[in-house]
Amino acid sequence: MNLERLPNEEKLGLCRKYYLCGFACLPFLWLVNVVWFFREAFRKPAYTEQTQMKTYVKRSALGLLFWFTVLTTWITIFQHFRAQWGAVGDYLSFTIPLGTP
Amino acid sequence: MYGMPMTIFLFVCLFVTGVSCNSVGDKIYVDFKDNIPCVRLLNATHQIGCQSSLSGDVGVLHLLESEENLDWVLSSGPDPPYMVMLESTLFTRSVMMKLKSSSNRVAGVVVVAPNTNPSAGFSPHASCPNENSGVYTEKYSPSLAHCNATVWNPLGNNLSYEEFDFPIFSLKDDNDTQAMRQCYMDHNRPVNGSKPRYPLCAMQLFSHMSAVTDTATCMRRNSIAMSLNPEFVCDPLGDVNIWALSKPLNVTEKGHKPGESVIIAAARLDSRSFFFDIAPGAESTASGLVTLLAVAHALRNATQEAQLNTTIMYTFFHGETFDYIGSSRMVFDMERNQSIIDLDNVHSVLEVGQVGLHGDTKLWLHSDPVSRRNSSIDEEVVKLIKNLNSSAKSLNFSVEEPGSSQALPPSSFQRFLRARPIPGVVIENHQSTFTNRYYQSMYDNSDYLNVSYPPGLTPEEQLDFVTDAAKSLAKVATLVARALFVQAGGNGTSVVTLSVLSQVSRLLYSFLVMPNNSWFHDTRFTFHFITVIVFFSPGNTTTNFYIGFMLANLTGSVVNTTQENCNNQKENEDDKETKHLYYYVWAQGAAPPNGTEREGFCVRSTCRTTKAVSPAFELEEYTSSNYSTWTESRWKSIKGRIFLVASHDLEMLTLGVGVGVLLTSLLLTFFISSKADILFNSGREPTNATY
Repeated sequence: MNLERLPNEEKLGLCRKYYLCGFACLPFLWLVNVVWFFREAFRKPAYTEQTQMKTYVKRSALGLLFWFTVLTTWITIFQHFRAQWGAVGDYLSFTIPLGTP
Repeated sequence: MYGMPMTIFLFVCLFVTGVSCNSVGDKIYVDFKDNIPCVRLLNATHQIGCQSSLSGDVGVLHLLESEENLDWVLSSGPDPPYMVMLESTLFTRSVMMKLKSSSNRVAGVVVVAPNTNPSAGFSPHASCPNENSGVYTEKYSPSLAHCNATVWNPLGNNLSYEEFDFPIFSLKDDNDTQAMRQCYMDHNRPVNGSKPRYPLCAMQLFSHMSAVTDTATCMRRNSIAMSLNPEFVCDPLGDVNIWALSKPLNVTEKGHKPGESVIIAAARLDSRSFFFDIAPGAESTASGLVTLLAVAHALRNATQEAQLNTTIMYTFFHGETFDYIGSSRMVFDMERNQSIIDLDNVHSVLEVGQVGLHGDTKLWLHSDPVSRRNSSIDEEVVKLIKNLNSSAKSLNFSVEEPGSSQALPPSSFQRFLRARPIPGVVIENHQSTFTNRYYQSMYDNSDYLNVSYPPGLTPEEQLDFVTDAAKSLAKVATLVARALFVQAGGNGTSVVTLSVLSQVSRLLYSFLVMPNNSWFHDTRFTFHFITVIVFFSPGNTTTNFYIGFMLANLTGSVVNTTQENCNNQKENEDDKETKHLYYYVWAQGAAPPNGTEREGFCVRSTCRTTKAVSPAFELEEYTSSNYSTWTESRWKSIKGRIFLVASHDLEMLTLGVGVGVLLTSLLLTFFISSKADILFNSGREPTNATY
């Protein structure tokens, strides 16, 4: 989808949709929001809808950062300690590697 | 227009080359013909055995010439990791422990199995077999526990119970192995201390085991319902116990049989070695097994005619090597009233242990000193020993008791004693420590038992040839048969000649030399089987169908009925009762001399099989210390191959050149495409310019 051809209201609408849907535990939508609308919100000359778009992009970036830290921390802990957790580690795992603890 | 003949030509070419294709893989790798790995076993607390990495372990081949040469592998060799090839004389505990301690330089070990047994004796088993699962615990008798008084297997180096994190395979000493040695000599041998130059001969072994840590972990992972198809990683060791009665009892009514008194004549069915699926067990298992089978056959007519009050139950326990799986299960079933009799019905136990005699004529009668402190038990044991003594005298044999305070050797009878004191005797060929120098190893084979045939005999002739081993085991069988008959209340003088000799020699031939012979074919269904006494494999029931049929044939009688009735467990159309007492099996029989169709017959016997899986798996107590918790890991593929390997530097150089070519071509393409208008349109400008 080429953002150049959309009128500004529709761009704002799209940004808002991505922002709101990201709250359904979908941080990837926030990532898309940030990457796609960054140029629109911060690099283009100002227009009316841009301020609102800026808040959306900023908040998406915050949310993304939050998810990123939480997931990274959890994944690191899990990968490191799963073997030591014994039964709990096995019940938390979807696929258990064969032949290693 | 020209396309059509061209395509036809192309197809023809492809067809010709496709039919005679050459696989590049075949030109590089030489696969092993047989794969005899060491596998991983787990119990409640440990994992033992070997493990390779998922994509196989690769190492430069090194033929170990002496123990000092280990230094090359462990520290001075320039191209680790090494794949160590050991001759059987170097397969000792000290070498293996040194390799284990520096396993980052060792990719794997290959042991060449010799054609003759090593003279010094070798036993990878523990020196105190089944130490924690017998009857001698700290509570029962602190002085006899943990082999404090007698170390049964002094040659045991415990290798089978060590954990190795590299694969260990066994190779037969044949032409392929000689080719491997030659490969080493040509490429890998250091000349005058100089570094051998690439390419080097390398070997790759695949034996990735799925289970890890211990039995509780692997049983839990078997049953985790999370993923779409749960993957089984291990199986509990278990098979069947086989037994037959001298007088039929109702099988469907389980539990105590009032008024019945049963003597259990026991032997074991299984053996093991360091490697998977190799378990000849000639002296440790086959001797006792064959003897008891012959006894069962010999007493068939006598017990039926004499109508004795006491029943004899010929029981063959499986899994005794791994903490008495079979006998613990049978005792457990008896305690829960799930077996045909219960422990109150058991009058006494007579176990036939290792009875292979190497020239001498003396057997030892072991009993448990702790239970004999009770005078009534002691009385029964004395009676049993007296019966054995008197039957030995008539055979020019001698039996003796070892010292009165000596413990029982590892035997199935110990599990019965663990439940309650019962009088019993274990017959062995050793006074205190084992005389078997290859206990639970791959060398305990027919050669060790002296089952050898003169050269030039056909398999048929070998089947009927009576070896010295057969003669001595036949004597033991006659001894046991007579004593058992008297013990069961029979008249000693009526059992005069028991012709067990031919049966014993045939059984020995079948179990130890060539199982696939005509005698077995005539007496069984067509089953495709491998070895008889196997490394205890879960679900390996073909072996036991075999022994079951054998026992049925030897103890049962032929009845005249159709194959359909026979398979439906009845003698005629209206028969509904006899299936509770007897078991019917259809044997395929032999072809008559003037025909080709085999004439089958129906055999009726009291022979049955019962499950022999450790009670720990019934009760789901996977960390139990009372019962065996052994499981065997599963695996995906086991193979090995040998090939020439290039130096690491050459590999990196090739990779680097490839990456360089890729980058160069990308750059070139980018450059050309960005200047495409200049490079390709330069011819067209003049035509545009004319307008």
